[in-house]
Amino acid sequence: MEALQKLGRMPTGLAVPAFAILLVIFGIPIVQLFLISVNAPSFSVVNYRAFFEQGATVFVLFQTIEMSVVATVVCLIIGYPTAYLIVAAPKSVRTTLIVLVFIPWLTSGLVRTYAWTVILGDHGLINNLLLHLRLISDPLPLLYNRLAVYIGMVHITLPIMILPLVSVMQGIDKSLMAAARSMGARPSAAFWRVFFPLSLPGVRSGTLLVFVVCLGFYITPQALGGLRDAMLSNFIAAQLASSLSLAPIAAAAFILLAIAVVMLSIFGLDVSGTPHETAQPLRKSSPYRLRALGRLLQYLYEIGIRYRANRWTVHLYQPIGNSGRSKIVGAVFVLLVMVYLLFPGLVVVIMSFSAGPFLEFPPSGLSLQWYRSFFGDPSWTLAFWDSLQIAVTVAVLSTVAGTLAAFGLSRTYPRLRVFLMMVILTPITLPAIVVAVAAYLGLINLGLIGTKAGIVLAHTILAIAYVVVIVAATLANFDRRLEQAAKSMRAGPVRTLVRVTLPLIRPGIIGGAVFAFIASFDEVVVTSLVSGFSIRTLPLKMLENINQQLDPTIAAVGSLLTLLPVLWLIALYLTWWRSKLKLQGASANQIA
Amino acid sequence: MNVYVKSTIPLAEDAALEKNPVSAEIEFCNVTKMYGAVAAVKDVSLKVRRGEFLTILGPSGSGKTTALMLLAGFVAPSKGDILISGKSVAAVPSYHRDQGIVFQNYALFPHLTVRRNLEFPLEMRGMKTANRAARVERMLERVHLNDFGERMPSQLSGGQQQRVALARALIADAPILLLDEPLGALDRNLREQMQGEIKALHKEFGKTTICVTHDQEEALTLSDRIIVMRGGRIEQTDAPEALYDRPTTRFVANFLGEANLLEGSDFKLECEAAQPSATVAMIRPERICIVAPAAPKRADGGQRQSVIGTVDDMIYAGPLRKYHVRVGSSILTVREHVASGQQIFKPGDQVRLEWLRSDVRFVAD
Ligand SMILES: Nc1ncnc2c1ncn2[C@@H]1O[C@H](COP(=O)(O)OP(=O)(O)OP(=O)(O)O)[C@@H](O)[C@H]1O
Ligand SMILES: [Mg+2]
Repeated sequence: MEALQKLGRMPTGLAVPAFAILLVIFGIPIVQLFLISVNAPSFSVVNYRAFFEQGATVFVLFQTIEMSVVATVVCLIIGYPTAYLIVAAPKSVRTTLIVLVFIPWLTSGLVRTYAWTVILGDHGLINNLLLHLRLISDPLPLLYNRLAVYIGMVHITLPIMILPLVSVMQGIDKSLMAAARSMGARPSAAFWRVFFPLSLPGVRSGTLLVFVVCLGFYITPQALGGLRDAMLSNFIAAQLASSLSLAPIAAAAFILLAIAVVMLSIFGLDVSGTPHETAQPLRKSSPYRLRALGRLLQYLYEIGIRYRANRWTVHLYQPIGNSGRSKIVGAVFVLLVMVYLLFPGLVVVIMSFSAGPFLEFPPSGLSLQWYRSFFGDPSWTLAFWDSLQIAVTVAVLSTVAGTLAAFGLSRTYPRLRVFLMMVILTPITLPAIVVAVAAYLGLINLGLIGTKAGIVLAHTILAIAYVVVIVAATLANFDRRLEQAAKSMRAGPVRTLVRVTLPLIRPGIIGGAVFAFIASFDEVVVTSLVSGFSIRTLPLKMLENINQQLDPTIAAVGSLLTLLPVLWLIALYLTWWRSKLKLQGASANQIA
Repeated sequence: MNVYVKSTIPLAEDAALEKNPVSAEIEFCNVTKMYGAVAAVKDVSLKVRRGEFLTILGPSGSGKTTALMLLAGFVAPSKGDILISGKSVAAVPSYHRDQGIVFQNYALFPHLTVRRNLEFPLEMRGMKTANRAARVERMLERVHLNDFGERMPSQLSGGQQQRVALARALIADAPILLLDEPLGALDRNLREQMQGEIKALHKEFGKTTICVTHDQEEALTLSDRIIVMRGGRIEQTDAPEALYDRPTTRFVANFLGEANLLEGSDFKLECEAAQPSATVAMIRPERICIVAPAAPKRADGGQRQSVIGTVDDMIYAGPLRKYHVRVGSSILTVREHVASGQQIFKPGDQVRLEWLRSDVRFVAD
């Protein structure tokens, strides 16, 4: 009872708007979906049995798992050494590399998938090059097969693997490696006995994230794979478009959900029990992945500081011997990975400026013709405006709701906080297609299918999650004693918030808003299910055109979708940098 | 000790600050604070007089910060009540309690300049902008930071930040000043200098001050009265000299300075009064004289007890020299100020230790 009263006094109530939206768009529908899948109120497992009795669906299920496992393993094999080399690089190079990994993560997966069709297609980059060099006489069948799907999946998920790894490896005290070596461990022994075990949390979170994202893949297998490379998401989406009954769809969604939840609870939840974790103070016991992301953001935040005294150790204790050859091998490896990550996006951007009558790479001349045709075509400009309106609304809504929620959650009991945080992150933790089906049902409940308001709400549950992660990470670094100081000087709760807390966490809020905008502007899976036939957002219209391969204008669209987030990122960086600058040395001139 | 020295900064410059008394009286009535099953503060009762400088001293985890935070209103007592100037503040939120606080890490607002930091409490009390500037200027001058008003806190040294924090806590003329390990982050020299500064500010402003510290020297130097806490309880409350000279428990005797506890020693301890039950005899190392066995007895020899022992080792510490002397099966610590013409003993030397019988204390076990 007393605990309840105390809870009432805490500003936990601030989280209500965010949870209300989540409940209506995702929480209630997912329960409904479950009830539908078991044919409530009669309760039977007939839909699940039907699923497992059909050879085709079981085949797709196993194929989904198989493809996810393969993609995840490949990601780890490429991602771990990449992250290691990034962390071992000198500071300036390291910063650049992290940003280069970050950029593809921010840019539309749809566009990058499209880029692979351009690169791998029969008249694509590779075949053209090989034909030109007369190495082959007929185009190789590079596209529409399993390999192409893997290339696309790994390309899209690699940043999600590398970034948590980097953030964990950054946190490993380099002097530990030096200590191990001073105790006689050879570099390889120091690595395997000290560095690798300490980096395991990053491996775990990266692997988990990638695997769950893979389970929900929808666009990539459809655009790059053959008919036999479909995944469960494609099956669910196709059913939703054709079938009248929701029940088999619900069952399929829950089977996918079950796999994801099992993986998350096996590898995600037991993390808090490891001794390494319990050594940390209580208030830091947020879910592991969240912390990794938070630490990463913190790192990005600190990019603004040029030289930090405590980084010198990194230069002194390079984790592995710097023999010239290993250096070169490492550099080449990182270079290849960066090309793999960045080249497709670049291809689209460059190609969009080509002058010929068809899209070509490299372009024979430069022109803005595809942009002209983009802005001259009302159906494209309409889609653009719709996307922009939706994204701005989502950004505003989710930034307000998400910031309030992060603030409220930071002031509640640690256990409750961990739980609520997990709840609010579900939309970005679960396979996209499951969230999409739930949101579809939620919007049917509200009668908002095919409306902008509906799309905004559906995007908002995703965007809120990003805002909460980022703002919560900023709040975790915020010294609560500053608030106490303000209160001891007669500032009430509101004035403390406005005068002290908000100015200090502003970079986090701005970052959250940018992420929310990007999340909405690029979103295509959920949108494709909830837009009905009345609204075409930019990515949605582009998706249709990829499938039909008709309109070269999509290169311009893809380029816009790629460049906008990059511009945002630069804007964000400058804001952070400026705010750092302001704190660090605004009045340097006064001293001089 | 009631200090009513008028502060050099005129109080009634602005209607917003007019009603402030110089200092206030604080009372803890059976205050307990539970964190789950752990009592961070246990049944503490305490009265702080107006203008008094009180230090809370205790080992880590003894509940010092919690006691301060209870007073500041950042944590609510589980039981008991806190009175400020005779009125219960149970229902008064922290932002109406009118206290100046210096936090352990200073908690200077990193996004505001020194000047804006100092203005903050004035602004929150609704003081007019025009009046604020002059007051800030004078306060900056008082803490010798005239030229630092436009700097950001991160551009100040530790000692400068400390002074800004003190100035900010004092500027609004709140009757109570709370210091949480105010000098913890400073090096030794600076700490001594700032101790002087704090003492001067206390004398000048006359605020009721509660200071939390680990540092016994700081506590002894600054305070009118010291509270020693242990496991959430008050172990002893006394003026610095009385506390050091007449500790009531073994814990206080050991925590404050060094103590020779003569329990189960081979020699019989002679003293003026009978030893109460459940106590241990204690003598401070500096009360013991160390001389050669054959040295002539002093004139007041009748008042003294002497024993013969062997020097175990000698530790030289600047102005002091410390001997560990084995007497029978027990080892006594002796501390002696270094002086010219003194005889220095080596390990293995036979020595005679003597002390006044009146210097032996009994502390509760
Ligand atoms: N928020 C909290 N939740 C749970 N226990 C707490 C909390 N704050 C303090 N405690 C516990 O209460 C006891 C007293 O803590 P407090 O911080 O008051 O000690 P302290 O005397 O200030 O120690 P130090 O000298 O190390 O600062 C400790 O055992 C501590 O673990
Ligand atoms: Mg403390």
